[in-house]
Parts: sequence; structure tokens; C-alpha cells
Amino acid sequence: MGVIVGPRVIEAGVSLLSVLVSPVPVAAGFPSPAQDYFDGRIDLNEHLIKDITSTYVVRVSGESMEGAGISDGDELIVNRALEPVDGSVVVAVLDGELTIKRLRITPAGVMLQAENPAYPDIRVPALSDLVIWGVATRCLHYV
Amino acid sequence: MRRMPQIAHVDVNCFYASAERAFDPSLEGRPVIVLSNNDGCAVTRSPEAKALGIPMGEPWFKLAPRAKEWGLIALSSNYELYGDISARVMELLGRYSAWLEVYSIDEAFLGVKGTPAELLALGRSMKAAVRRNVGVPVCVGIAATKTLAKLANKWAKNNPAFGGVCHWDSVPLPEREGLMGRLSVVEIWGVATRLTRRLNVMGIFSILDLSRADPVMIRDRFSVVMMRTVLELQGTPCIPMEEERIGRDQLIFSRSFAVPITTAAGMRQVLSVYGQQASARLAKHDLQAKVLTAFAGTSHFNPKDTSYPSVCVPLPMPTADPVILTKAAHALLPLINEGIRYARAGIMVTDLRPTGNQAPLALFENPHEERRVGTLLEDVTRRYGRGSIGLGYGGIRGGPDWTMKRDMLSPRYTTHWDELPLVKAA
Repeated sequence: MGVIVGPRVIEAGVSLLSVLVSPVPVAAGFPSPAQDYFDGRIDLNEHLIKDITSTYVVRVSGESMEGAGISDGDELIVNRALEPVDGSVVVAVLDGELTIKRLRITPAGVMLQAENPAYPDIRVPALSDLVIWGVATRCLHYV
Repeated sequence: MRRMPQIAHVDVNCFYASAERAFDPSLEGRPVIVLSNNDGCAVTRSPEAKALGIPMGEPWFKLAPRAKEWGLIALSSNYELYGDISARVMELLGRYSAWLEVYSIDEAFLGVKGTPAELLALGRSMKAAVRRNVGVPVCVGIAATKTLAKLANKWAKNNPAFGGVCHWDSVPLPEREGLMGRLSVVEIWGVATRLTRRLNVMGIFSILDLSRADPVMIRDRFSVVMMRTVLELQGTPCIPMEEERIGRDQLIFSRSFAVPITTAAGMRQVLSVYGQQASARLAKHDLQAKVLTAFAGTSHFNPKDTSYPSVCVPLPMPTADPVILTKAAHALLPLINEGIRYARAGIMVTDLRPTGNQAPLALFENPHEERRVGTLLEDVTRRYGRGSIGLGYGGIRGGPDWTMKRDMLSPRYTTHWDELPLVKAA
């Protein structure tokens, strides 16, 4: 229902709160020796997301990035705040569609490369002609 | 020299349409409208849709026959998406000021300080960051008061020369007065349309006229509310920033309604939903509440027929149980006057404590908690979406307001794994 309950919604503290609760059962008689060593389970959000305001998850449709280990149906973590550089795997807007390519910025020009010989590369006159939607940082690949 | 803090008003341009465009670039440059609940009427119009002459609030059934010919794209309200995009915008803005008031789903006030040049740079930086990080365009108005900041924002939106950021005091006085002279007094935040006749009779037509009126005379003839608007237009802050609404020891669920609620039945629905939201939030944080306060209020811009009922309910035991919280919230209902236009309502749970800190005596043990009703509701909601299950009037049988028709719904791109945006690898 889109109810916003203040700016830093308490969500921000969720992982913190959950790690504060020990998963080790507290025995009434003898405290567990592991108790003192527990400082939180590993947290995938923390590991995969640098900035929650700029990070989105998208799904890959197609085989043109197989060479980069990105397959049809995989989920990509995309950070919109990153500056794309030569070699970045980017989500670019091409003909009104979100498209995934490897960005190449060389003295010879700017190119959007597929990572599959069956698909052509796309030459771009200049970086400014490109709308880059975000930079992919991780691929959640199904094995 | 000590600088007075100023207020930045930030809001998203055509919020719903912009949120849709962020994930579907094919909508860029095309006329887009977003429809209200039940696909009723156009509540957001892209500039291209406005250019077609589609008025705000136009019913969809009137537009549908011509949509194809116009290339008009109509979408149902995707509240899951808008809610997430809004939360991202607000979180990002919160990094610019510790003093942030979320005013609505797409606008916020921030307390800011600095030289005019610094304030302009800050505004531009916020605008660029929201666009880059979240993907939606915003405009920024900065001024000494909330009322002027809103006006500056409106100016920034309508005059491309500002580049989307207007610092009121940096604009030469004659230009500011020119703008205020051109705009009718209804355009200002806080002046109800129905008061314009009375203002006009007194020779007050434009915002400039109102800003030059005598505040005391305005108070005597209208209200303190209108006097505040006059003082704010003159640069004296009168509408304070609302305090941060989440404290360590309380949770508040509240919102303003787009359409006022005028019946106890309508209010019952809203309170039921808040009761369940509070329960879910408490459970998530392993907290229980001892006291629940429910409140409602008429618009503070509407000094007639004011009503601010509130009720404080001590709970029988510390609890996060949705049944008990909802029941407690309903204690407000006898105080609701049928026919009064309530503009907002909410509940607040206070005196929070960690769950299970001390086991209650069996006598006071809550029968629902035992059966884990709250956890069950939460699990179902997480799995099948909001509104898939609920208690009483907060549930799916709650009536048309909560069981919406959304035939033209875009994917819930950011909240559902099976509806993620697709990126083409071809």
C-alpha cells in the first residue's frame, strides 16, 4: 500500500537486529562455549549490495553473454551508481530495450560486445550516444 | 555571519509514470498515464499525455476508445513498485540531511544550510544522485520556508532555465515578484480553492497579493493557518519540520489519504490494515507493544469541521498479535463522526519490549500468539503478496478499496523474483 513510515525505515536495522539474536540455544545451566564467538551469520545482502538505493536485480534473456559466464535465465545484480569503464558488463538501452553487453572503450571507438561468436558487436559513435542503465557487478548463475 | 537553515523541497516529476519508465525505456517519449485504484481515472500523466490535453482525473473509460489512435499507454497503479522506488529516493535524500521529513510517497522536505552557491550545488547534487542511483527525475526548490520551497520547486519544474533546481533567494526580486504576481492564490500550498472567492473579495488575487496582506488581519478574517501561509510567503518559517517519526520505542503507521475517508466503515478498513502492518513489523523485530494509540484527523488546511479523535489503549499484555492490535485500533471507531472528511489516520505502538523477555503468567497468555496467527499471516503475505490474506476488514473481503482491479499492471520489478526486469542478451 506504499506506506512510508519515515525516511530510514527500520528495515535498515533488520540484519543488525537479527544477528544480535543468538542462534545458539541458551542452556539454562551451562552457557554454550560458542556463545561468545558468535558475531552474526554471513549476510548475502551485505556481500552483494554496496548501495541499496542504486542496486537492482534483473533477469537475463538470451545466450549472447555465454562467454562471460552469463546464461539465459540468470539473475544479475546491477548497480546504477557505478561509472562504466572499458570492460564493464553493462545494461544499455538499445531500441527501447534493456540489453546486456560488454562495453569496450578503445582509441578505435566505443563498442558493445557480445560474448558469443554467434552474435554481432555493435559500434557506437561515442559514449555520449549510449544510455547506460547500470553496471552488472555479479551474476547469480544456475549450476 | 550565522546562516539560518533553509528548507529544500524535493519531489519526483510525474512519479508513477517515471517509476514505470525507469524499468521500461520503451515508454520514454510516449504519452503514459497511470490509473487510480480499480483502473478508474488518470492520476499521473507524463508530459506527452498532458500535451494530448488529457485532464487530471479523466476517467479511463472515456480515454480508452482513443488510446490506440493517440499511442497512449495506460497502466494500473503498481504500488509495490512505487513503494520501493519511493523508499529508495527517501533513503538517498536522507544522506543529504539528518533533518528529513517524508511528506508523501514522492516528496520530502530537508533542512539544509549553506551559502546560496552551496545550496544550489547541493540541490543539483541531490537531483543528479536520485536520477543516477534510483532512475527517476526530481526537481528541487530551496527557500527559507516550506511554502516558498514548494513554490520554488513548482517554478523549477515549469521553467527549464532552472535546470530543475531553484534556490528562491538567488533569483532577483523582480523576477520572484513577477512569478508571484502571475500565479493565482489557489496555486499556493495550503490555500483551499473554496477560500479564493473570499480572498478575491478582499482584493487578493495573486500569490503576491497574499504575501503583501497583513497577517493579523488575515488571521482575524480567516484562520491561523492562513496567517501562517502569509508569514511563510514573507520568509518567516511557521510550519515546522515534522519530527522523525520512528523512535527507538515506538512505531507509527500513518498516511494521508488521496480521497478523504468519511465513514466509520472506511476507517475500520484502514485501521485493520495498520493493525496488521504493526503486527508484522513488531514480529520482524522481535518486539511486543504494551500500548496502542489510534488517531485520525481532518486536513489542517481545512479549518472548518475539524476533528482530531485519538484513543490510547493499554494492551492486556505485551503483544505483537494482529488480532489484538487490530481490535485495539478499532477503539477509535466510536469517536469517528460520520460525514467528517478525515484526511489522515494512523496507529502508534509504544512501550516496546523484546519478545519473551519475561514470560507472562499463563493467565495472561494470549490465546492467538499461542497459535502463531501473526507468523502465519506474515508467511502467507510474504509468499503470495500483500492482500492475499488478512484479518476481518483488513483482509481480502475488505471491500473495493483494498481489492483492486489492476488489469494493466506492469511487473512488480523490484519486489517479486518472478517479475524481475528482463535484460536482453541477443
